[in-house]
Amino acid sequence: MKENQLPKNFESFADARKQGFLHIKALKDAGKNVVGTFCTYTPAEVIMATGAVCVGICSFSDETIPEAERVLPRNLCPLIKSSYGFALTEKCPYMYFSDLLVGETTCDGKKKMYELLGELKDTHVLQLPQTQTDEVSKEMWYKEVLRLKDRLEEKFGVVITDEDIKAAIKLKNEERIVLKELYELSKACPPPISGAEQLKVLYGSQFKFDYNVKLHELRDTVAKIKQDYEKGERPVSESAKRILITGCPLAGATEKVVTAIEESGGVVVAYENCIGAKTVERLVDENEEPYKAIADRYLQIGCSVMTPDTKRYELLTRLIDEFQVDGVVEMTLQACHTYAVETQSIRRLVQDRDVPFISVETDYSAADSAQLKNRLAAFIEMMA
Amino acid sequence: MMDQNFVGIDSGSTMCKTVLFRGNQVLDTLMSKTGWNPRLSAKQDSDLLLERHRLSRENIVFATTGYGRETIDFSDHVFTEIICHAFGGMHLVPGIQGIIDIGGQDSKVIKIINQKVADFLMNDKCAAGTGRFLSMACDKLGIELESIDEFVNLDEYSQINSMCAVFAESEIIGLLSLETDRSKIMAGVLQSIAQRIRQMIEKLGFSKELPLLMTGGLSRSQALMEAISVATGFNVITHRYAPFAGAIGACVCAHGRERQSP
Repeated sequence: MKENQLPKNFESFADARKQGFLHIKALKDAGKNVVGTFCTYTPAEVIMATGAVCVGICSFSDETIPEAERVLPRNLCPLIKSSYGFALTEKCPYMYFSDLLVGETTCDGKKKMYELLGELKDTHVLQLPQTQTDEVSKEMWYKEVLRLKDRLEEKFGVVITDEDIKAAIKLKNEERIVLKELYELSKACPPPISGAEQLKVLYGSQFKFDYNVKLHELRDTVAKIKQDYEKGERPVSESAKRILITGCPLAGATEKVVTAIEESGGVVVAYENCIGAKTVERLVDENEEPYKAIADRYLQIGCSVMTPDTKRYELLTRLIDEFQVDGVVEMTLQACHTYAVETQSIRRLVQDRDVPFISVETDYSAADSAQLKNRLAAFIEMMA
Repeated sequence: MMDQNFVGIDSGSTMCKTVLFRGNQVLDTLMSKTGWNPRLSAKQDSDLLLERHRLSRENIVFATTGYGRETIDFSDHVFTEIICHAFGGMHLVPGIQGIIDIGGQDSKVIKIINQKVADFLMNDKCAAGTGRFLSMACDKLGIELESIDEFVNLDEYSQINSMCAVFAESEIIGLLSLETDRSKIMAGVLQSIAQRIRQMIEKLGFSKELPLLMTGGLSRSQALMEAISVATGFNVITHRYAPFAGAIGACVCAHGRERQSP
C-alpha cells in the first residue's frame, strides 16, 4: 500500500489547516478511502456503503481564486473558481486526500470545470437530469446511481452488499432527522439560536466522519439548546425580524450576508440553501428497493438547475409558513445564471404571499460588505 | 413633542445635507462637501445650523443617515438612506408612490404602498447610472456639474453605449476626438443614466397615471429629470427641499421612534 504523503507546502499552513490535514491523513493511514463530493445530488449512502469517508468539497473562500483564474475565466461563479483553486493549490485537506471526486452535470460552469478538474484528480461525473418528474429522467438517474455504485466498487475493490447499503440509508436518515430537529428549533419565537449558530452546526456536521460520534454530538446540542430555552434563556430578541435565506450555497465567505442581517435587527431562522433544509428534508424510503429509493429521494431536491424548479417553490412556501418568516433574502453568487434568472419567479412567489423579498448578488470578496449591510439593513427597516 | 427640535444629517459620499426640523416642518437647511471625514463635516454643519437659530446642542435629537452615518458619534437615531428618502419624500409630497434618488455612489428606486416602503432596488455594483458617472463625464467635457442644464440640448444626443462607466469614459474621449459637440455628448450621458433608472422603475412596477418624485442633489437638474421622464414615460417631479429628502426623512423617522418609546 502506498504511503499517504502530506502536500509539499504543508509547513506553511496555519495550525487549523495542519490539523485538518493530519486528521484526514490519520483516517487514510487507518485504511479509509475518501470521496469528495460537490452537490447535494450526490447520493452519499452509496459512498458510505463502501466504507469510504464522504466529504463535501465545495469551497467557500476567496483564497485560491487568483490561482484558479490563471485557468478559469474571471467572470465565473466564485464557488467553482475557489473549488478548482483548492485542487490546484493542494490547500484543502479533503480535496487533497480524496481518492475520488464525484460531481454532477448541474450547472454549466461546474460541468465544464469538472473536465479540467479531472486532469488533476480522479473525477467521476454523474449525469443529472434537468427535469424531475418524467419517467425518462427518473430512469436515467436510477441508472446513474447504479453506475456510481459500479464505479466505487471497482475503484475500491469492494462489493456493496444489500446490508451495507441498507445500513448506510438508515444512518444517513438518522442524521437527517436530527439535523431537521436542530433547525426546526428556530420555529420558536424568538428562536433559541441565531442564524449564524444554526449555520455553524449545519455546515460543521459535514466534517465529522464518525457517524456515531456525530449523531451523539448533534443530539446533545439539540438537547442543550432545548434545555436552555426551557430555562428561560432568550439569546435572540423577540422583536428581531425572522428571515429566511434562499439561493446559492452559503457558507464561509458569504456568511457576511448572515452577519449583515443579524447586525441589523434580523435573525435568520431558516436556510433553504444547499447547506440547510433542501439537503435534509426528505428521507430515503427504507422499505423500497435501496437504489431506487435513493434515486427517487435525491432527484426531488429543488435547485435552479432544474426546469421547472417546482420543488424549490414548494419547499420555500412551506418554510415561509412553518417558520413564520417576516422576509426572504435571496443570495446569488456572481455569474450564477440559473439562480439569477430564477430570481424573477422567486420574487413573484414570495411577494404574492405578501412577504417582503430582496435578492442580493455577491462573491467571495469582502469588497461589498458595506453595501450589503446597507441594503439588508434597509430591508429590515422596511419591515418595521 | 411638537416643539422638539430635530437635526437630520444625510452624510452622503459626496455631499453632507443637514436640516433643522420642528413641529413637522423644515426650518432651515445646509449643504456642504462631505470631505474626507464625514464625522467632522456633520459636526461642523450641525453646529453652524444650530448657531443660526441660537440653539445649543442640548435637547436636540440628532438623526443620521447616508454612507457616513456609522461614523457620526453624536447620533441619537441612525437609519439607512432607503427608509429616509422614502419618508422624506412622503413628507414633501404626501401620497407619492415612488422615489428616484441618484446619489454619489449609488442610485435607487423605492416603491411606497400605504405609507410604507414596499420594495426597493439599488444599483451599487457599478458607477453607471450614479452621480459619480455624471461627474466623471463633466470632468471630461470641462463642464461644471451645476451648469449641465444650460449646456445640454436633449433633442440631439450622441448615443453612449457602454454599460460600464470606465468604458463610457473611453467612449466620450473617442467622441471628443471626432470633434462631436459637447452638448450632444452630455445629452447622451443623461440618456444613459435615464435608461439605467428606467430598468429599475420597470422592475418595480408603478402606476403610470401618478408621478414619481426625484430626490437627492441631482433633482436640481431639470435636464436630467426630463431625460428620465422621456425614457420612462412617467411624470417625474421634484420639490425645492428634494436634495434634503434623506435628512428630512431621518427627522421624520426619529420623530416616529421617539413617539413609540419616549
